[in-house]
Amino acid sequence: MILGLLILLPLAAYLAWLVWALVAYPIPLGYNLRSLWQRKLSSLSTAAAIALVVGIFVVVLSLAQGLSVAFVSSGRPDQAIVLRPNARFELNSSIERDRMRILKVHPLLKRDAEGPMASAEVVVVKLFPMADGTDTNVTVRGLEGRGIALRPQVRLLQGRWFRPGLSEVVVPRKMQGRFPGMEVGRNLRMGGRDWQIVGSFDAGGASYESEVWSDVNDVMQAFRRESYSAMVARLEGPERVEGFLKAVEDDKRLKLDVIRETDYFRELTKAGDPIKILGNLITLILTGAAIFAAMNTMYAAVAGRTKEIGTLRALGFRQREILASFQWESIFLCLTGGLLGSGLALFANGIQTGTTSFETFSDVSFAFTITPGLMAQGVAFSLVMGLLGGFLPAWRASRIPLTEAMKGG
Amino acid sequence: MRWLALIWKSLMRSKRRTLLIVGSLILSVFTVAVLQSLLTTLNAVTNNPNSSNRVVVRHKSGLTQMLPRSYEAYLRQQSEVETVCALQWFGGYYQDPRNFFANFASDETTLFQIFREEFGVAGITEAQIKDYIRDGAGCVVGESLAKKNGWKVGDVVPLTGTIFPINPRLTIRLIYKSPKPSDENVLHFHYKVLEEGVPRMKGLCGSFWLRTHRPEDIPRLIERVDRHYANSAYETLAETENAFNLAFVKMLGNIGAIIQGITAAVVVAILIVTGNTMATAIRERTTEIAVFRAMGFSAGRVLVLLLSEGVLLVGAGGCLGLLLANLAAGGVRESLGMAMPFFADFAILPDTVLSCLAGALGVGVLATFVPAYAATRRPITDGLKAIG
Repeated sequence: MILGLLILLPLAAYLAWLVWALVAYPIPLGYNLRSLWQRKLSSLSTAAAIALVVGIFVVVLSLAQGLSVAFVSSGRPDQAIVLRPNARFELNSSIERDRMRILKVHPLLKRDAEGPMASAEVVVVKLFPMADGTDTNVTVRGLEGRGIALRPQVRLLQGRWFRPGLSEVVVPRKMQGRFPGMEVGRNLRMGGRDWQIVGSFDAGGASYESEVWSDVNDVMQAFRRESYSAMVARLEGPERVEGFLKAVEDDKRLKLDVIRETDYFRELTKAGDPIKILGNLITLILTGAAIFAAMNTMYAAVAGRTKEIGTLRALGFRQREILASFQWESIFLCLTGGLLGSGLALFANGIQTGTTSFETFSDVSFAFTITPGLMAQGVAFSLVMGLLGGFLPAWRASRIPLTEAMKGG
Repeated sequence: MRWLALIWKSLMRSKRRTLLIVGSLILSVFTVAVLQSLLTTLNAVTNNPNSSNRVVVRHKSGLTQMLPRSYEAYLRQQSEVETVCALQWFGGYYQDPRNFFANFASDETTLFQIFREEFGVAGITEAQIKDYIRDGAGCVVGESLAKKNGWKVGDVVPLTGTIFPINPRLTIRLIYKSPKPSDENVLHFHYKVLEEGVPRMKGLCGSFWLRTHRPEDIPRLIERVDRHYANSAYETLAETENAFNLAFVKMLGNIGAIIQGITAAVVVAILIVTGNTMATAIRERTTEIAVFRAMGFSAGRVLVLLLSEGVLLVGAGGCLGLLLANLAAGGVRESLGMAMPFFADFAILPDTVLSCLAGALGVGVLATFVPAYAATRRPITDGLKAIG
C-alpha cells in the first residue's frame, strides 16, 4: 500500500505537471506532434507493436473477469448453502432424505405465502458431446420449484420451466452455442432416458449458465441417487446467516456445514486463479518489452533531431518545455497504440468459451466481454507505457548542451 | 573473424539501442517459450508412452457415476487383458484443503502391475509390496509427496474425505520413486477402506483400469466391452488412457487457442519492433554503407553483413530469453505443480528451444531484410551525399 503510494504520488504529480504544460507551452508540443507524423513509418510501427501488447492485455483481463463474474454474480449474502461436513462443494456433498426433511422446515428460514424459502437440490456431472466432437463434463442440477425463485438473476428466455415428473430440462442459452442439439424442443439423453428441452434461460453471467436444470426427483431417479447434494435457503437478512450456521452445526440430528452463498462462490472463483496469475505475468513481461521498444523509438527520434532541439533552445524555449513536449510525443505515440489495441481487442468480444473448474469437475461457460471499462484500462495502460518509455529520452532531449545541438549530431 | 568484429562494431555503435532491443527481445522470447512449454506440457499428458497398453472403463454418464465391481470378473476374462485394477478418486486432503494431491482407493493386489512404469517397480522389492498388501490400513505414497510433508515409512497419515464421508487414518507402507515428477504426487490406499467405510460404495467403483497384452488389441477390446454393457443399467465408456486424460486437459478449455493467439501477436510485435530498430540503425549509416560499396564491397556482401547483424541481435535476445525461461521453469514446477498435477513436469523441452530459436532467427532475417535491401539498392553517389 505504502509502496504503491510512493510510486503513484510522484507519477500523479508528474502527470499533473504535464497536463499543465500542455496548456502552458503549446508551441514545441505542436512541433513534436507534427514530427511524429513526419516519421510515419517508425511511429506507426511502434504504435502497432504497442497496440498488440495492449490488445493482449485487454483480452487477458476480460478472460480473468469473465471467470470471476461467472461465480461472483451467482451468490446472495442472505442465502446459505447446506452441505455435508468437509464436502466444500455441492458435487461432493450428500444429505439424506430424513435430514433434509428436518432442514427444510428449519424455523430460522425465511418464509413467504408458500412456506419456507428453501430448495433441496442434487448436482451430478454428465458427459456431453461438444460441437468439436469431444466430450466435456457438464453439471446437471436437479432443483425444486422454489430453487428458481432463489436465483432472481435467472431469467427464462424461451419456452417454459420444467415440470416435475415429466423428465423435462431447461438449458442455459450460453450452452446452446457450444453444444449441439440443445435447441428448445429437442431431446437430451441422460441417465438412460430421454429428456425434453422445454426452455432456455439466461443468468446474467452467473455460473448457472453452465448448468442444465431439471426437477430434483427426476434427476435423483435417473442417476440412481438416494440422497440430495445440498440445500439452498434464504434467511430473513444477511445478518441471520451466522445464527442459522450455528443452529445447524450444533443440531445433533443434522451435523451439517452451512456456508454463506457469497463465500461459497468466492471459493469457486479460485478455479480461475492460475489463469489470472499467468495472464498478469504475461502482460507484465510484455509491458516491459513494449516499454523498451517505445524507449528505443523515442531515443532514435531525439538523436535524429538534435539540431532541431538546439534551434528550439536557441529560440528561447526552456529545458522543461522541451522535456514536457517530448514526453507528450511519447505519450501520444503510445496512446495511439493503446487506442488501436483496445479496438483490436474488440474482435475477441462475444467469443464463447469454457473452462473446467477443478473444484467441481465440470464445465464453466463464459464469454469474452470487452467492456468500455476494460478498454479504458487498456488505454490507461498505454499511457503508463508512454510515460515510462518516454521519460528518459525526453530528459535526454532537454539536457542536450546548446552548443552541441547547434553543431548537429 | 574480421566480419564478426565489423558486425560487433556496428552493434556497439549505439550501445543503448542494442541493449534496449535485446532487452525487448529477451522478454518476448521468454514469454513465448514459457507459453509454448505450457502447451507441450499439457499435450504430454495425453501422450504418455507408458500408457499405450492401458484402457480405462467407466460409467458412460461421467465420472460421478459408479459401476458395479462385479464387472471386474467379465473384464478379467477377456483374452486381451493382462490384469484389471479397480480405482476410485478419493479426493481427500491432508491437514489443509489447499494442500492438493491425487489420492485413490485402489485394488492393492493389481495396482503395481497396472502402473508398473509409474511406480518404478524395478526399485521396489516384493517384500515391500507384500507389506502394503498385508496392512489393510496401509498406503503407498510418491517420494516427492512424502518429502513435501515430511513423511516416512511407518508414519500415520490422516486423510479428510471431501467426496466421501470418511476420514481414514493410513499407515505409509511404501514410498516409491517415479521417473516422472507428477507421478510422485500421488497416494493410494486399499479399496476396502472405501467400500467398508461408505455404505453407498458397497460393490461399486468409479473406474476399472485394464492392462492389455498388446496395444493393437485395444480397439477391439474397447468395442466389445462397450457393446457388452450397452443398454444395461450401468452402461460403460471404455477408452485408452490417453483419451481419458484428454478430458482432463480439455478442462482448461480453449487455453491452446489463447496461447497460440498470444504467441502470434508477440511474434508480429517483435517483428515490427526489430524491423523498426534495424531500419533506424541502417538509415544512420547510409553514408557508411555507401563508403563500403565504394571501397568495393558488393551489394550482396553488404546485405549479408547487415543481415548477420540483425540475426546476431535477435539470436542474442533469443538465447538469453530461453535461458531465463529455463530458470523460470523450476519456479513453475514448484508453484503451479502443486495446484495442478501436470505442471509438476513443466520444462522447456529441446523442441521448444529449437522452434523458439528458429522463430527468432526468422524474425531477425525478415525484419532486417527490408531496410537492408533498400540500403544496398541505393545508388552509391546518393548515399555518399546523404546527410547522416
